[in-house]
Amino acid sequence: MTTIGWSGVSTTAFSIALFAYLAAMLGYFHHLAFRRRAVVLAASAVAWAGLLAHLVSVVARGLAAGRVPWGNMYEYSSLLSLLTVAGYLGYVELRHGLRQVGGFVLMFAVVTMAIAVELLYVGPAPLVPALNSYWLKIHVVAAIVGSSLFALGGVLTILYLVQEARERRAAVAPPPIMGGAVDVEAPPDHAGSPDEPVGGGTGRRGVLPPTAALDRLAYRTIAFAFPIWTFAVIAGAIWAQRAWGRYWGWDPKETWSFVTWTIFAGYLHARSTVGWKGRRAAVLALVGFVSLLVTYYVVNLWIVGLHSYAGV
Amino acid sequence: MSSVPQPRGITMRRSLALVWRTLRSMRTALVLLLLLALASIAGSLVPQAANSPEAVAAMARDHPLRAELYARLGLFDVYGSWWFTLIYTLLLLSLAACLLPRTRALVRNLRTRPQPAREVDGFRHHAAVPVGASPAEAVAAARRLLRRRRFRLSAPDGGAALAADKGLAREAGSLLFHWSFFLLLVGVAWGKGTGFTGFAVIVEGQAWTEAHANYDGNLREGTFFGEDHTGIRIRVRDFEDRYLPDGQPTDFVTRADLLSPDGTLLERVDIRVNQPAEVGGLRVYQYGYGWAPVLEVRRDGQLLAQAPIPFQQDPPPRGVSPLSLPWRGALKLPSLSPQLGVELDLWPDARGLVGLLAGRPIPMTEARDPVLLFRVYRGDLHAERVQRSADLDTRDMRQIAAGALGLGRTVDLETGEEVEPDAPGLTMTFAGLRRYTVLQVSRDRGLGLVLGAAILMLVGLLPALFSSRRRLFLRADPAPGGAVVRVGGFALQHADRFEEEFRRLVEELGRAGGPIRESAGVGAG
Repeated sequence: MTTIGWSGVSTTAFSIALFAYLAAMLGYFHHLAFRRRAVVLAASAVAWAGLLAHLVSVVARGLAAGRVPWGNMYEYSSLLSLLTVAGYLGYVELRHGLRQVGGFVLMFAVVTMAIAVELLYVGPAPLVPALNSYWLKIHVVAAIVGSSLFALGGVLTILYLVQEARERRAAVAPPPIMGGAVDVEAPPDHAGSPDEPVGGGTGRRGVLPPTAALDRLAYRTIAFAFPIWTFAVIAGAIWAQRAWGRYWGWDPKETWSFVTWTIFAGYLHARSTVGWKGRRAAVLALVGFVSLLVTYYVVNLWIVGLHSYAGV
Repeated sequence: MSSVPQPRGITMRRSLALVWRTLRSMRTALVLLLLLALASIAGSLVPQAANSPEAVAAMARDHPLRAELYARLGLFDVYGSWWFTLIYTLLLLSLAACLLPRTRALVRNLRTRPQPAREVDGFRHHAAVPVGASPAEAVAAARRLLRRRRFRLSAPDGGAALAADKGLAREAGSLLFHWSFFLLLVGVAWGKGTGFTGFAVIVEGQAWTEAHANYDGNLREGTFFGEDHTGIRIRVRDFEDRYLPDGQPTDFVTRADLLSPDGTLLERVDIRVNQPAEVGGLRVYQYGYGWAPVLEVRRDGQLLAQAPIPFQQDPPPRGVSPLSLPWRGALKLPSLSPQLGVELDLWPDARGLVGLLAGRPIPMTEARDPVLLFRVYRGDLHAERVQRSADLDTRDMRQIAAGALGLGRTVDLETGEEVEPDAPGLTMTFAGLRRYTVLQVSRDRGLGLVLGAAILMLVGLLPALFSSRRRLFLRADPAPGGAVVRVGGFALQHADRFEEEFRRLVEELGRAGGPIRESAGVGAG
């Protein structure tokens, strides 16, 4: 097939994935509100189908351009959102069953992809000479994988902070006046996974997973992402030495990826520091997530440096 | 007689101990890390003199008050400023202060064996397993099992108690990571301090010698640099750039000969982006390029000067391709009296000039009917003042002529009219058009150390994050049918993973101890 042919396949599959994620996201949010198990299973299936279409889109883009499909911001955004959704479906949902998180992760993916296709789209073309190196495959892949995991950790951290605030408020609120107690340890006969607490008559408590689960999962995701990000920064420095003659020049992209690294290093330290565990550490993780978004969007689009490419 | 207790005073020793303890704490490290991040952010938001001097100059021009404030605060050179240096020095000190005692503790831990505990039922995870072997045999079997699982074991004293631990890799990995980070920072400081980076502008066909004077000021030497430039020569045979039809570049390559100081050919190289040349400890990178028209100046047919002149191009405005813009240069004739200077604009491709005038700029990727637009000035060149070679200081000069000049043509400098090549008077000929290449030449002896340290950082990071320190304590007491083995344990990190591991270990210990023997008499429960 020709370049135009594969490019058409890629954009069609991209649209299919985007709408599938959107539909699945609505299903997950519906489940949060109404707890219909059939709906969440259907949403999960649709999300998996969207993931498959997304994979087809990325591969077709690579075939259209005749190179690895991560050479400009449109392609990075596509691969980043694919890995974030894959990370959610494969790890958070499959291994830990925390389906309440699905809607938020898909929302991140949908927004990233919408920005990519509306503002960042460029046709498939060869790479500029500065990018034409096998280091592109190594450094950028590591950066995208690290970013997607940080993004997943970021979503989990936001949910942790929301849930933690809610639990703090519930702890000081007077106990509800009602007959009988809601025993969250006993397995209810309709709930899906052990992590889904009973909704019961206490209203909104129990919509999100408990803080302990969110905190643990956020930590695991970020701890997994951190070495990958470290590697991405180091690989970038090695590539910079070969291409630009210096491994570190405080170029805005280099600076902000270092800032992101430092903030997440701070998060990992905070979890071992008395008085900084829990909420304060989570706030640090949130700051790190914001720093990641700045590193990706703001530096590429607003701040001019060696990292900006003609045609974005 | 009772003595009155003396009040504890503030001694130097106590103050130092307090400072040391503060530096060592995790909280200090956290604060310093975040301060470092903030300082780095400042450097990315304010234009830096090292990376974008034009932006700094633009700010000084457009917002003088703000620029003055930034300059006072050192914001135009954040990464070289005293407060940035202070923050990362403090971080280094905090790192060392934390690492030394912890390394000592780890070495001590590695040297001593785990000690058995008297009571095992008080631990977070505990179980009792009945086995068929005698207590001593059960302990021996447990010892074999745990050794296979790579636990560190207490000394075998033939007794009925055993202690095991595993996961010192976590602390070892963390220390490796942090020591490597320390080494990396040292390597960066040493490599940059004893090295240099400079730019060489070489026209096609010319040779350039690696020496302090030849960088034309485009040289940054480290603070501890030892004045030992190599004298290696680079002779550029050819520069080539290739583009797609829309102007997007696909390749830049300089073909050069590398010669030793005495002239012997060391190597023939193609220097491309992403593909530098290495020679004599130097690294040579493809950095930039430009056009160098060859101009000849004659008076009454006698050749006064002939040279290729590298032309410059200013950074283009946003959204405009630099390929569609002209190049600027200046020809200075200070030996004439009165002095003469010529400002020149080069259009490598005549279609580009036409296109720009018509409002449709096109990328000029190759030379095609190149044309020079010129303006001749007479007066005082102020040539003794150093200025950018493409600029002419026309304060004390008067324009006397202007015009356009095609390749191979000649003009009279006093009238601006085109003339025959051998015409009398002062003439300028556009004799040829060559390319020049800008190569970045640098030396950094710390590269190997920095790379090694970076790799060790990664190696240490994995066990530091994913391993956990776990301890097991075991006692075997006699019981009907054999013995009962009591096991207790805990994990310092990743407690939920340890729960699973503990359960499995208990099962295996039970199996290793053998099935219970039925006693001949009344059976136990």
